[in-house]
Amino acid sequence: MTLPTLDTLIVERHGPVGWLINNRPDQLNAMSAHMRDEFAVAWEALDADPDVRVIVHTGEGRAFQTGVDVSEIAGDGVGMERYRESLEDFDLHFTSWHQQVWKPVITAVNGICAGGGFHWVADADIVIAASDAQFFDPHVSIGQVVAIEAIGLLRKMPAEAVMRMAFVGRYERMSAARAYELGMISQIVDPPGSLRDEAQALAEKIARNSPAAMAATKRALWGALELGLTDACRAGAAELVSMWGHPDQEEGPRAFAEKRTPEWQPLTAGGESPA
Amino acid sequence: MGGYDTLVVERDGHVGWLIFDRPDAANAMDATMLAELEHAWIELDRDPEVRVIVNTGAGRAFQTGLDLRQLSRDPTALREQSRRTRDATLKLTAWHNQVWKPVIAAVNGVCAGGGLHFVADADIVIAASDATFVDPHVSVGQVTAFETIALARRSPMEAIARMAFIGTHERLTAVRARQLGLVSEVVDPPERLREAAAELAGKIARNSPAAMAATKRALWGAFEQGLTGACRAGAAELVGLWGHPDQEEGPQAFAERREPQWAPPPVREVSTP
Repeated sequence: MTLPTLDTLIVERHGPVGWLINNRPDQLNAMSAHMRDEFAVAWEALDADPDVRVIVHTGEGRAFQTGVDVSEIAGDGVGMERYRESLEDFDLHFTSWHQQVWKPVITAVNGICAGGGFHWVADADIVIAASDAQFFDPHVSIGQVVAIEAIGLLRKMPAEAVMRMAFVGRYERMSAARAYELGMISQIVDPPGSLRDEAQALAEKIARNSPAAMAATKRALWGALELGLTDACRAGAAELVSMWGHPDQEEGPRAFAEKRTPEWQPLTAGGESPA
Repeated sequence: MGGYDTLVVERDGHVGWLIFDRPDAANAMDATMLAELEHAWIELDRDPEVRVIVNTGAGRAFQTGLDLRQLSRDPTALREQSRRTRDATLKLTAWHNQVWKPVIAAVNGVCAGGGLHFVADADIVIAASDATFVDPHVSVGQVTAFETIALARRSPMEAIARMAFIGTHERLTAVRARQLGLVSEVVDPPERLREAAAELAGKIARNSPAAMAATKRALWGAFEQGLTGACRAGAAELVGLWGHPDQEEGPQAFAERREPQWAPPPVREVSTP
């Protein structure tokens, strides 16, 4: 399967690992309307490629992502109005969660992550960062509301830290070290130059696990953010049961007993479980 | 408190102990243990002398989940377990069995896969310095759901998602678990774990059993609801204790500089979910 060639993003595959790289380094990877559209295409392509088992998302240059391209917004007379309908309908398509990608997604924060850049921290499964990465949310410093990214983060990490970033705006930055302490990220990579190597190594470990079991696990865990604990467990039970009888459940223990690497079934399109 | 084959269930003062006791099988749950766990939680919950429960393991492991090899030799037990999994009606943990006494999980070694149920469903978790946490489900073609769903409510979620997707290829250490707030105390040297757990349980046993039961219902109930709904339900628990003798005894004992004489723990009430 060929991955698409895009203007603002690099999409490629290294072994079982799909890479999505923000590629507007001169604009600190800020998201233009065109990039926003290309994200939707890129996630769909990586999700559809059966050779991709895990996805790493990172950025070119000294920033990971810095939100909406404010110079585009300020310069063309249309401003944020162009996004009104998609926000009012909550019909967004630029993260893996928006696109219902059920493959594991690792965000590898390579530098500055600001404002809307938190969408890809909030919506990733796993987040790692270069030791010089910095996090801040300038929305309220330029008269904008922060909601969706921060709401996602509030369910995944200590709330105080999220509120502090939301209200301090551009006047303070969170270090990678603090993000690690808070559990917003699980790994700091030093020197920063080895971030991509470490992300590939982490992704390759994950790629050794059953794709079908990981897809069902991901649906169970993200679905749990929608429900009370008991209802979440009930919905999780349906995901558990959906794997019963799947060939991976025979293959996993057999490979373990025979001390070899399991031969997993490829994921069917869209991460649907076959049951 | 005897008659268990796979568990040690005992009481020391006001502290009840529930100890996984299949050390040669890394304390994995076979059919007998599955049945005995339900009885043990209920026995400890019913015992009016028990005010707090410590859950730990004998030997090198804390708990390593279902003993699938043994269960597959016992089709009836396996069928029953499958039914309970499908219906989300497991009876393994204190939460499953609606035990409203405080429960301390004292993780004495590896805690793997289904063993994470007992961490997810405890109120307080402490660990030996050499304890590790790992979830191998996806590495053997299984889905992980209940344990990680509950863990993600009590810890930053990223760490739980990482554990879920990396499977056997990485372990979370006790030190990192404490940083994340998944564990509140790391005991070193590891041999001191039971002593530390007993000390902690002794402190908790000095508090009002009735107030702790209502508090536990309020906090676990909060996992079921939005913030405002949870506060309303919590208010009902607060008011539910007004007029209880412990609310006179507590301030009086404080003023008289003596230990309070609490009313015995509330009688076990089980509401059907």
